Amino acid sequence: MTRNKYDVDEVLETPFDFTHLKRSFVYIQRYSGKMLLALLLSVVSAIAGLIGPLITRHALDVTIPEKNGRQLILLALLLLLCTGFSVVLSTIRSRILTVVGQHIIFDIREDLFAHLQKLPFSYYDDRPHGKILIRVINYVNSVSDMLSNGIINFVMEILNMVFILVFMLIVDVRLTLVALSGLPLFMLVMFSIKKHQRRAWQDVSNKSSNMNAYLQENIVGARITQVFHREEENAEIYDRLNERYRKSWMHAVVFSNLVWPVTDNISTLVRAALFIVGLLVLDPATVSLGVLAAMTGYASCFWQPIMNLSNIMNNFINNIAYLERIFETLDEPVTVEDDPDAKPMGDIIGQVSFRDVTFGYEENVPVLEHISFDVGAGQSVALVGATGAGKSTIVSLLSRFYNLNDGAILIDGTDISTVTLRSLRSHMGIMLQDSFIFSGTIMDNIRYGKLDATDEEVIAAAKTVYADGFISEMEDGYYTQVNERGSKLSGGEKQLISFARTVLSDPKILILDEATSSIDARTEALLQKGIAGLLKGRTSFIIAHRLSTIRNCDRIMYIGEKGILESGSHEELMAKKGWYYQLYTSQST
Amino acid sequence: MICNKAFPLQWLWKNLKGYRSSYIIALVLSVLCNVLYTVVPYFQTEIIDTFISNEKATENLALHRDRFLWLIAAMIGFTFLRTAMQYACNMYYEKASQGMIFKVRTHLFRRIENQDMAFYDHYRTGDLMTRLTGDLDMVRHMVSWVIKGIVESIALFTASMVFFFTIDWRTGLCILAITPFIFIITRLFSKKAGPAYRTLREKQSALNTAAQENISGNRVVKAFAREDFEIEKFHAHDVQCRDANIAASMNWLQYQPWIDFFAGALSVVLLLCGGWFMIRQHLTMGQYVAISGLLWAVSNPMRNLGHYVNDCNRFMASASKIIEIYYAAPMIVDRTDAPEGEAHLRGEVEFSHVSFSIGDKAILRDVSFHILPGQTVAIMGATGSGKTSLVNLIPRFFDATEGEVLVDGKNVRLHRLESLRKNISIATQDVLLYSDTIDSNIAFGDSSMDEEYVKRCAKLSAADAFIEQLPDGYDTIVGERGVGLSGGQKQRISLARALAVRPAVLILDDTTSAVDMETEAHIQHSLNDALDFPCTKIIIAQRISSTKNADQIIILEDGVVADIGTHEELISRDGYYREIYELQSGIHCAQENGKEASHDAQ
Repeated sequence: MTRNKYDVDEVLETPFDFTHLKRSFVYIQRYSGKMLLALLLSVVSAIAGLIGPLITRHALDVTIPEKNGRQLILLALLLLLCTGFSVVLSTIRSRILTVVGQHIIFDIREDLFAHLQKLPFSYYDDRPHGKILIRVINYVNSVSDMLSNGIINFVMEILNMVFILVFMLIVDVRLTLVALSGLPLFMLVMFSIKKHQRRAWQDVSNKSSNMNAYLQENIVGARITQVFHREEENAEIYDRLNERYRKSWMHAVVFSNLVWPVTDNISTLVRAALFIVGLLVLDPATVSLGVLAAMTGYASCFWQPIMNLSNIMNNFINNIAYLERIFETLDEPVTVEDDPDAKPMGDIIGQVSFRDVTFGYEENVPVLEHISFDVGAGQSVALVGATGAGKSTIVSLLSRFYNLNDGAILIDGTDISTVTLRSLRSHMGIMLQDSFIFSGTIMDNIRYGKLDATDEEVIAAAKTVYADGFISEMEDGYYTQVNERGSKLSGGEKQLISFARTVLSDPKILILDEATSSIDARTEALLQKGIAGLLKGRTSFIIAHRLSTIRNCDRIMYIGEKGILESGSHEELMAKKGWYYQLYTSQST
Repeated sequence: MICNKAFPLQWLWKNLKGYRSSYIIALVLSVLCNVLYTVVPYFQTEIIDTFISNEKATENLALHRDRFLWLIAAMIGFTFLRTAMQYACNMYYEKASQGMIFKVRTHLFRRIENQDMAFYDHYRTGDLMTRLTGDLDMVRHMVSWVIKGIVESIALFTASMVFFFTIDWRTGLCILAITPFIFIITRLFSKKAGPAYRTLREKQSALNTAAQENISGNRVVKAFAREDFEIEKFHAHDVQCRDANIAASMNWLQYQPWIDFFAGALSVVLLLCGGWFMIRQHLTMGQYVAISGLLWAVSNPMRNLGHYVNDCNRFMASASKIIEIYYAAPMIVDRTDAPEGEAHLRGEVEFSHVSFSIGDKAILRDVSFHILPGQTVAIMGATGSGKTSLVNLIPRFFDATEGEVLVDGKNVRLHRLESLRKNISIATQDVLLYSDTIDSNIAFGDSSMDEEYVKRCAKLSAADAFIEQLPDGYDTIVGERGVGLSGGQKQRISLARALAVRPAVLILDDTTSAVDMETEAHIQHSLNDALDFPCTKIIIAQRISSTKNADQIIILEDGVVADIGTHEELISRDGYYREIYELQSGIHCAQENGKEASHDAQ
């Protein structure tokens, strides 16, 4: 799989059709009752709308010539009532549709977000995060109106059209055919526009995605930009993306804006044709002028819904460019998921076995080959080896962040692929290389490890990793607001918070991946004692470059050449004078 | 009048510069189009009146066939003219609004990029993203839609009212009598709408932030199996956002019915008053029909007015968020009297009684030291002792509160930021790579750098070997934050990136912490002996192995320089350094060792 970057459009696999719209019916269906009610209200209000002209006609034809003032007032009151009635109906309809529209996009967004939680690391690694973000927020927002009002209006206009068509057929079939003659032309023009229009709006969505991906990276990386004094160059790149977006937009509206004028012109042509055919072509004996008058009226009425429909379709086509991106994300395969009959993993003692494990991030490029080892419950294992040898990979596999190519990993004799991911991971405490800080208080950041922890427990965890000292000195102590890339915390402090988070989760299996690399030597020395206590009663895997951290581990495994090169206690490996010995002595010189 | 705070509108106008003529053309065209709207039906009415519903219709047709054809031609011709104008008008609106948004966007991007650290402590990524996406789109909507709508409505309303008054002033007056009601309602609504949209805006920003952090922190989420918690958290924001959206719409829907009702009541007024005047013979049937035929041109603007006020309020909520960023000024800028900087600095760094605090919290106190060009200086100290803050003062990411930071003997404030930062390169603690190729990431400081040089820098940083092993070598795209790479690998790319700009001062902020010892030795060797340019090195590190060869080692304790000296000097006296030295060489006690200090790492 090739990774995507900010200036590369994402290719859309599926060709366009209205299946996307059809698929969104899953979401609409949940509100089908309300949607139908809204439709019904629209119909009733449309019919009520027909009464108004009748009242006016009666007044003009009868009441006023008779100079009947009393009846005029009565009729006016009636008309007022009608207006009120139709306002009430349309207000109810609007209220219903507002709620429905918001609920539909809410549902889509919830599904999208839930699906994102299941997607593997690789999904996030393969594309700029801004591109994911804009789908969850902006794209979903864009489709709200289409999926509520748009659909109802669509149905209403079709009903309108059919309704009028029936009337026209009753009045005169030949003239109806004339009125309809514009349709094929209309279809032809629409389809040729649609093809370009659709591609153009897809391009817009791509270009906006690129632009926003770059924006997000620059917000996150503003510091780096300043370090390298590259503000102007980055701004120029952004300008280019911005310009491409503008161009794509201007290109798209060339087509979108055509729809309405084209329809308008065809509708006028049809009315002109009606006059000409009715008055000049057809035998005057067979077309009464009354019929002709009625027909021209109907023809305008008939083309109005068509014009509205073309506008609605226009909107649909623009928004489908977003909808298809949403569905594409929802279709993104979940590679690591619970087995259909996966059971939750119960309490464990923490025995870990790798059985002939082979794994590679990409097909045919194995990182680890035929690895087998056993770790007893409560043992501590250190993984050493060169950067990139696969140490982090081994611990990632243990949490089943990736599926194996071959072999099996057992915990307490149970294959980890047969238990639920959540239960598996709840037994693991992983301290990652990157310490991510959520925006919120320090208290909440540590509590992430155990959501129901009391403040006291959080503070106790912070004390265990010697983080209490600096936290207490901050302006609001544990309640200090911090954020992802803020300057309030140093790298070492972030690691300590992240460490406290892991400690708080009280895992049976503890994984420390370069947990203390940015922590100062004195704190680290203190931590060593703390860690020794932590390791009691837990199986642990420790990755560290400072060998002082790992000397006391029960076992040290030297990882290299896609496998385990050496394994044994510090003393054994030192006596062996192999890889570990070399590494160790190189550090002490 | 409608949007009661004028500033955002002035701001719009300012940013329309360069597109003002397009915008004015568009506005004029849309007024014309609306006038034409009232003209075209005339031909059709004329045809019907003369050739269809007239008593002498058949005769008329026989006698005036050419007039009939002319009318048909005029009907088609004017429609074509109107739609063509409409199309041109829409394109002008698009051109102006896109042009304006383009300008605002580029300006905002530059603003955001040039901000101080304090700005980034305050604004979350998700929030800034909301401003540059949703809020900006609202501004576009305002320019290309709302203002257009308001102008069109006013034009249409005025034109038809004039028309009505010329036909019959009494009926015109009766119709006009409805308008105050509509104004009162929109005003009442406007008061409530502002807060509703501001709330909505906040909720949207919070939702955006929640999603953004979830995406960025996806590893932590998975490591702690917190998917359900995240879904719940997101759900809470999503619900709030949805409800705020509904609340804002419902607020509008409390007023809209009244507006609709009064607009609809126009036909009642016409029926009642017009009918009455007809009975009293002030008004003829033809006049009545003419007014009634154009009544929509009064009622539609009234109806739409409410919508536009609604949109205006939304716009106000969004515009204030954008304007805030638009005018946000960084504190650290070039002094006006800062001279053009030298192309290359020598790399002399001096701190003279420097103190630095953020808010009330003192970070550094009375720090003084002097680094000569080409020297290597190590900074050590406990977590939070101010090491990173100290180096941040050199390229002016922060300004010292007291005392002077001097580079090449001149206060950093007297240097231009550009020359200062171009000459000082930092490999930051928190490695951040762009989702771009490794090659582009290393050449970040100078994108015209040739591949050979990129490779050389990678070699110096001990990164070449692993890069070559990647599927696409230097063309491998690394994910955002370089997530495809291990911590040590990222650090080495970050180092290569810092080296590649051939800085006069190279600052390594704990850059080799995740690198194994052997690699570190290689890197040290590169820095000491293999650089082809003069360079002062300032190294923050935790390991004695990283610092022991430095010309000076500065020990920071609680923001104060506790000691300065060489490795030999520092281990010869009590203090932090010797403590660490003993701690770290504690692992060596299996071997007898006392001579490591004099040996080189390799």
